[in-house]
Amino acid sequence: MEFLLNIIERTGAKTVGWWNASYGVLRFMTEVLSTVANPSAWNRATLDTIVKQIYFTAVQILHVYLIYVTAISWVIITITLSTARNVGLFDAATEMIIRVLLLELLPFLTALLIALRSGSAINTEVALMKVNNELDALSHCKVDPMQFEFLPRIAGGVASVIGLTVTGSVLTIILAYLSIYGLSVTGLSSFSATISSVFSFGVLLGLGLKCAFFGLAVTTLPMAAGLETPKKLFMVPVSVLRGMMRVFLALVLIEVLSLALKYI
Amino acid sequence: MLAAALTNLPDEQAAVVSPDLPLRANLSARENIALIPLYQKHYDAAESSRQAQVLLDRLGFADIAEKRDPDMSPSERFVTKLARALILKRPKLVIERPGAMLYDIPYPGFIRELASRVDGSAGMWEILDFDWNHSLYD
Repeated sequence: MEFLLNIIERTGAKTVGWWNASYGVLRFMTEVLSTVANPSAWNRATLDTIVKQIYFTAVQILHVYLIYVTAISWVIITITLSTARNVGLFDAATEMIIRVLLLELLPFLTALLIALRSGSAINTEVALMKVNNELDALSHCKVDPMQFEFLPRIAGGVASVIGLTVTGSVLTIILAYLSIYGLSVTGLSSFSATISSVFSFGVLLGLGLKCAFFGLAVTTLPMAAGLETPKKLFMVPVSVLRGMMRVFLALVLIEVLSLALKYI
Repeated sequence: MLAAALTNLPDEQAAVVSPDLPLRANLSARENIALIPLYQKHYDAAESSRQAQVLLDRLGFADIAEKRDPDMSPSERFVTKLARALILKRPKLVIERPGAMLYDIPYPGFIRELASRVDGSAGMWEILDFDWNHSLYD
């Protein structure tokens, strides 16, 4: 009987914990959206901070990102071309590369890179700000933490995921062309025709939305986890652990939903 | 008791200098102070920085402008918090538990000195300290 009670108690505690966490994330998202919709939040100071955040999130890692994209794209393009040649589907290779790399893998890997680099930093910083009362101090000074600390990071994160994905995609398209046609310009018309046939308006819109949701996930979820941190320093690593797990699950969920919408 | 007294003060009435209201750790002293004109009064970044620097100059701590919280001495940290409270331009300035922030210097004299440097622009100052420290102010 006691065993059964323990199970019920543990399940109940987990359900309540899960519910509280979900409610916290939803409440934070609502606050973000209401701030985004408030024109007075978009002043010069906020825009300056957004530019700084884009610099820290995207520009600072651009060289690393380009090396990383070149390596991954080159390996996958080579495998795809060689497999396509072996099974007699070489004509479909360009479309396969675009669909696998540009529409699925690059946005996901870009979001993962930003989550690991910036998401974890955001989670730690917000948790430390909460523990050290820095957010209370800002509120006392009537400097809205949402406008000064959170909104610029979210806008910067979304812009960085979209910007890096576009940059990586352009690089991958160039690599794909060079791998298939070499330095010759003879394949340019058929290559661009394949690209334009894949990138219909609907596909572009879906890709843009997916990148935007990735950007939201890698910034808002770590922030929400940081804000949930109890005012105890030893809870900061636990907060980062929880936040990063939620980011990973959200990224996988967004990717699976996008695949399901496209192909099922 | 101190905390209870402070919670009764509305934010619009009193600017508080307290060990519980720290500086933003990743910003310099000048940036911490400049946040108020920048976000509350909508001055541009250059003007906000200028106002912050002027205040630090008046308090006699111009050289700490670039320092961040972890690099400051207790008195430098206190002066930055004080400047941040002064730039809020609220009718009352409350210094809560100064001994917890200025543990390395005889603080009643230090606060008096700072008050004389910004005389006329600071509203009413109030110090909340423990009973057993009252003799320090005689």
